[in-house]
Amino acid sequence: MRRPVALLLAGLACWAVGPLYLMLKVSVSPPGEVMTARPTLLPHGLTLEHWRGLLDAGQVLPPLGKSLVTAGLVAAAALLLAAPAAYNLARLPARWRYGILLGLFLVRMLPEVSIALPVAVVFLRWGLMDSVTGLVLAHLTLVLPVVAWVLTTTFLAIPREVEEAAALDGCSAWQTLWRVTLRLAVPGLVVAGLLAWLFSWEEFLLATYLTLGAKTMPLQVYYYLYQGNWFLTAAAATLMTAPVLLLTGLLQRHLRATWLAGAVR
Amino acid sequence: MRPRDLVGLLPLALYLAGFTVVPVASTLALSVSAPGGGITLDHFRRIAGHYQFGEAVVNTLAVTGIGLALELLLGLAAALALIGRPAGRQVFQVLLLVPLGVPTIVAAAVMRTAFGTVGYLNEILLRLGAIRTPVDWVGTRGLALFTVAVADAWKVTPLVMLILLAGLQAIPGELYEAARTDGASRWRQFAAITLPLLKPALTMALIVRGVDAFRIFALPLALTGRGLPVLSTYAYVEYLEYGNPYTAAASSVILLAMILLAVASYLKLAGPEEVLR
Repeated sequence: MRRPVALLLAGLACWAVGPLYLMLKVSVSPPGEVMTARPTLLPHGLTLEHWRGLLDAGQVLPPLGKSLVTAGLVAAAALLLAAPAAYNLARLPARWRYGILLGLFLVRMLPEVSIALPVAVVFLRWGLMDSVTGLVLAHLTLVLPVVAWVLTTTFLAIPREVEEAAALDGCSAWQTLWRVTLRLAVPGLVVAGLLAWLFSWEEFLLATYLTLGAKTMPLQVYYYLYQGNWFLTAAAATLMTAPVLLLTGLLQRHLRATWLAGAVR
Repeated sequence: MRPRDLVGLLPLALYLAGFTVVPVASTLALSVSAPGGGITLDHFRRIAGHYQFGEAVVNTLAVTGIGLALELLLGLAAALALIGRPAGRQVFQVLLLVPLGVPTIVAAAVMRTAFGTVGYLNEILLRLGAIRTPVDWVGTRGLALFTVAVADAWKVTPLVMLILLAGLQAIPGELYEAARTDGASRWRQFAAITLPLLKPALTMALIVRGVDAFRIFALPLALTGRGLPVLSTYAYVEYLEYGNPYTAAASSVILLAMILLAVASYLKLAGPEEVLR
């Protein structure tokens, strides 16, 4: 019994991590090792020419900046909009809460193409194409239901008695909210913020509709892929994945399946 | 209930109404608007007669079906292996979860490297002697469907695993003890305890993943170019390439209907409380 389980897990782990290893390897391999009928699996030569090429061409830094700024703003705006809603939701009677959460669940299930088309038409008129503002506004539609969901479970986990005790000790309603409730909600707020960030960082469809020239990072990777340049693709993709692995590493201890059900696509 | 209990919901509700509900409604309206004014079903008739649209519907369903089968199989295998507390469990769990956060476009880039004609999968299979000549993995429609589904499964199997793991952890251990006392075989325990009690988690994984797979966009586009139209990419090409918002809207509405049908049957199957736990 033990041996087959270990073999199964090892096989699944290779399947999960192997492709990323290949990506990293291609990004630092001499072309002769990759562009051949028999590519080698282990790295033999090592070169930084693709990375240098990626950074020197100056094509990757603007998208990198745009994606970083967009994702940061999306995370901040999502928390600002969703936290008050989630706080109210957590204090509502269960039946109301279920109804509203179900509504959020349905909103999340809507196809992006049916949102992207009218939004692109309107943003064209408003002059928001290619802008960070437009992208943030669009990304929020995908992110808000998830963030509201996660924060509602966060606030639900904070017992009302804690707030009542603070009130008894003479805290005003605002002081209670600021000094007690929000402090206790910090882990949930961090998780929700990171999820929103990740969501925006990798978003592809809305960015495609709302971009004429100023690409985001996913569009830049797609551009290299479309050109058929394996090395620039691999280097840019690695660059894009590094912060994600860092963040998900931080997130892992706080992952809950039901949150992710709403959060990962 | 006092109004101040609801005031925090207002910004969120207004935002989602303005940027989600209104756009979807205007897509619906667009799909039945005649360009000169008035209501028409011409756009639906037009896409129904379009060869690529039929292909897109079939491809969407096929990618969803193949992908779900792979994800549930691998996710269940991984969850069952991890729940038995094997040696190195923590390390394996971390490794298995890695693809979860990887951006979809990166998954496409990675899989294109693996699935290219001179890619790594062919090299591995050649070395193992499983194939004699390199395979063009997106060369035929059947293979392309399979390749896109595998790429999708690579990214989301960890999510299915997490959902199923949570489901398995909720099954009380006493049930297995009782079954063992009664002399039930491992297989019998699996069929009589694990599977039925895992049903809520399985249906949840199925619906969440199914709806996402219906909406698949980046992977078919990046892996096959125009080679494998699905509903989302069909709508995209109609709008951005052919400049026809009406047919784009009509195909989005078909996608919306498919999703609503799936969600409705799920809610009927599971009951809303189960969704929200």
